Amino acid sequence: MSIAPSPEVSTWGAFVATLRRDLLVAFKRRNDLLNPIMFFLIVVTLFPLGVSPDPLELTRISAGVVWVSALLASMLSLDNLYRADYEDGSLEQLLLSPQPLFFLVLAKNIAHWLISGLPVVVLSPLLAYMLYLPEEAYWTLVLTLLIGTPVLSLFGSIGVALTVGLGSRGLILAVIVLPLTMPVLIIGAKAVTDVMFGLPVGSHFALLGAMLAVALSIAPLASAAALRISVN
Amino acid sequence: MWLWFSKLGSPRWFYELSGKWLPWLYAAMALLLLVGLTWALLFVPEDYQQGHTIRIMYVHVPVASISLACFPLMAIAGAITLVWKMKLADMVAKCVAPIGLWFTGLALATGAIWGEPIWGTWWAWDARLTSMLIQFFLFVGVIALRSAIESPDAAAKACAVLAIVGAINVPIIKYSVEWWNTLHQPASNFSMESTAPNPPEIWVPLVIMIVAVYLLFVISLLLRTRNEILTRERRSQWVTDLIARSQV
Repeated sequence: MSIAPSPEVSTWGAFVATLRRDLLVAFKRRNDLLNPIMFFLIVVTLFPLGVSPDPLELTRISAGVVWVSALLASMLSLDNLYRADYEDGSLEQLLLSPQPLFFLVLAKNIAHWLISGLPVVVLSPLLAYMLYLPEEAYWTLVLTLLIGTPVLSLFGSIGVALTVGLGSRGLILAVIVLPLTMPVLIIGAKAVTDVMFGLPVGSHFALLGAMLAVALSIAPLASAAALRISVN
Repeated sequence: MWLWFSKLGSPRWFYELSGKWLPWLYAAMALLLLVGLTWALLFVPEDYQQGHTIRIMYVHVPVASISLACFPLMAIAGAITLVWKMKLADMVAKCVAPIGLWFTGLALATGAIWGEPIWGTWWAWDARLTSMLIQFFLFVGVIALRSAIESPDAAAKACAVLAIVGAINVPIIKYSVEWWNTLHQPASNFSMESTAPNPPEIWVPLVIMIVAVYLLFVISLLLRTRNEILTRERRSQWVTDLIARSQV
C-alpha cells in the first residue's frame, strides 16, 4: 500500500487512503494491536494490588485509575504512529505528497485512535465494574473517554513527530507529552467523580468538547510542522 | 524599524550592546536588591496574622511572577525562530529554558517554606502549586528535547514548536487546575479597587524586590545568551579577535 502523489487524488481521497492504509498495517500486526489493550488491563490491575482490594476505597479512586491507565496506554502505543513509516521511508513520501499534510496527519491520528483509543473506551465499563465504580457513572466514564482519548492521540502525535528522528527516545516522549495531557485527565476524571456525588456534569462535557475542538484544529498543524522538522 | 530588527538579529551586535548594558544592570540590581532586601527583612512591619513569615512574600512573589513570564517569552522567541529564522531568538529561547526551570523551582521551594508555617504543610495539591509543578514539567520537557536532538538547527525548530504548543496549553492547564482545586489566595496585592488597599510600607518594598529580581533574571539571561553566542560563533573572526584581545 503506497500513496501515489498524483495531483488527481483529491484531499478527501488522500485522507481516506491514509486512514485505510494505517488501519490495514495495524491489522496485519495483531500483536501490536493487542499490546495497548493488555497494557491498559495490566495497569488497572496494579491499583487494587498496590492500594487495597477494599471496595469502598476502590470506588473512590476508580475514575482516576481508569483515566490514568487510558492515558498511559495511549502513550505507550504512540510510538507506532510514525516510527515504522519513518524507518521504511513512507513518511517522506507522505511529506512530499501534494496533499495538505494537515489532513494526512489527521488521518493517521484518527487511525491511531481507532486502534488504541477506541478499544480502551469499549473495555472501560468492564474495568469500571471490577473497580466498583457506581453504575450511574458508567455512561459518564465511557463518554468522557470517548471525547478525551482522541485529544490524547492528537497531543501525543505532536510529541512523537518531534522525537521520531531521534535514536534513543525512551522516556523523553512521556516527559514531553504527559504534562500537555494533564488538563484532559483532570476534567475527564473529575466528571466521573462528580457524577458519583450526584453533581451536574454538563460543563465538564462542554470543556472536554472544547478541548477536542481545539486539538482537532491545532494539533495536526503542530504535528505536521514537527514532522517536517524531524524528517529534514 | 526593519533595519533595527535585522541588526538585533546579529549576535555580534547583541553581544557588544549587551556588554555595554551589563555594568548598569549590575549596579541597578545591586542597589535595588540591597534596598529591597533590607527594607523587606528588617523594616516592614509584622503582619498581624502571619508575623515575620510575611517576609517570605518579598522573595516568593517576584520569583513566581518571573517564572510565569518565562514560558511565554520562550514561546515568542520560538515563534520568531520559526518565522524569521533569527539565530539570536533561538539562543534566547535556549537560554531562557533553564532559567525558567530554576525560577519555577524556586517559586515552588519558597512557596513550600511559606506554606509550612501558614497552611501547616509543605505541599498541598492546590491549584496554583499544581499548575506551577506542571509548568516545571513543561520546562523539563523542552530542555530534554533540546538535549536529545543533535543537530542544533533541528533542535531549535523542534523546541520552538514544543514551546508554542506548551504556551497555548499553559492557560488551559491553569484554568483546569484552578477549577479542580483551590486553596491559594488570589493575587490581590496590587488591585487599586481592593476594599482594604495595602499600605505603601507593605507594597513599595515588594515593587522594589520585583524590579530587582527582574533585573537578576535579565542579567542571567544576558550572561547565558552571551555565552551561547560565543560558543556558536566561535569560528567567526570577531570572536577569535575578542579572545585574542582578552588574552593580552
